[in-house]
Amino acid sequence: MSLSVTRGLDMAVAGSWQPPRPCEDYRAEWELCRSARHILHHYYVHGEQPDCRQWLRDLASCREWEESRSPEAQRSLCESEQTRVQAAQKHSLVWTLRQRPPADWNLPLPQERDK
Amino acid sequence: MKHSGCTVNKGRHFSCEDCEGNVSGGFDASTSQIVLCQNNIRDQAHMSRVVTHELIHAFDHCRAHVHWFTDVRHLACSEIRAASLSGDCSLVNEIFRLHFGLKQHHQTCVRDRAVLSILAVRNISREEAQKAVDDVFESCFNDREPFGRIPHTKIYAQYAHRDFQNRHRYYSNI
Repeated sequence: MSLSVTRGLDMAVAGSWQPPRPCEDYRAEWELCRSARHILHHYYVHGEQPDCRQWLRDLASCREWEESRSPEAQRSLCESEQTRVQAAQKHSLVWTLRQRPPADWNLPLPQERDK
Repeated sequence: MKHSGCTVNKGRHFSCEDCEGNVSGGFDASTSQIVLCQNNIRDQAHMSRVVTHELIHAFDHCRAHVHWFTDVRHLACSEIRAASLSGDCSLVNEIFRLHFGLKQHHQTCVRDRAVLSILAVRNISREEAQKAVDDVFESCFNDREPFGRIPHTKIYAQYAHRDFQNRHRYYSNI
């Protein structure tokens, strides 16, 4: 069992876990996903139709958890969102991320400094 | 930008200037300033798109060590993201340019415009620019930060902002 799932179960036992998104957000994403507008945008970007089924599964899990605090619903939601995060991060970055923002972001412009 | 530690001050980080050629704007990493070409920006919609495009460069500069002047792959990466995420390559804008294509045309537009943007600021060959874009495309096209998605229209942008506001709940419950 993954660390994040055990942590989630601990949070559920402690009563502090909640779905990562409000259930209405899952509904909104599902409705956007299956809209004609999004189907067109998705085809324009990816050359294929979008697969919206996971949003509907997540909506069902969210509602099930709200009604019955089902551990299976919680597990399903966590796995689904972890898959989304991993998919977004699967490509290694071209550059190195900063630890701090650029030191000169707010420094006066050269013409200001010379005054 | 504020969350990344680079709060934007209009007076400090934007400059309206007359520009040569038909360039619409630029991000000067040496001064942390966005230049808006007042003689080439046509209308509000164009302005919004240029500001978004340049803010994506500023965002990349803020969050990462982007070697703007010494690694053309880094420049290519930011141009791919800016072309993809700013609306530059929307279906409507491409039609206005008389570039007709639908299936996966967004990616074609992003590649082409990234090359053009590189050539506008670097004295290199088209082949070198194209190679840099091709080398980094997979990684950079799929980097949708800070939106998490391509903000095609206002509703996508609203959802992206909603997700940003919900980020603490999200990451503490997955």
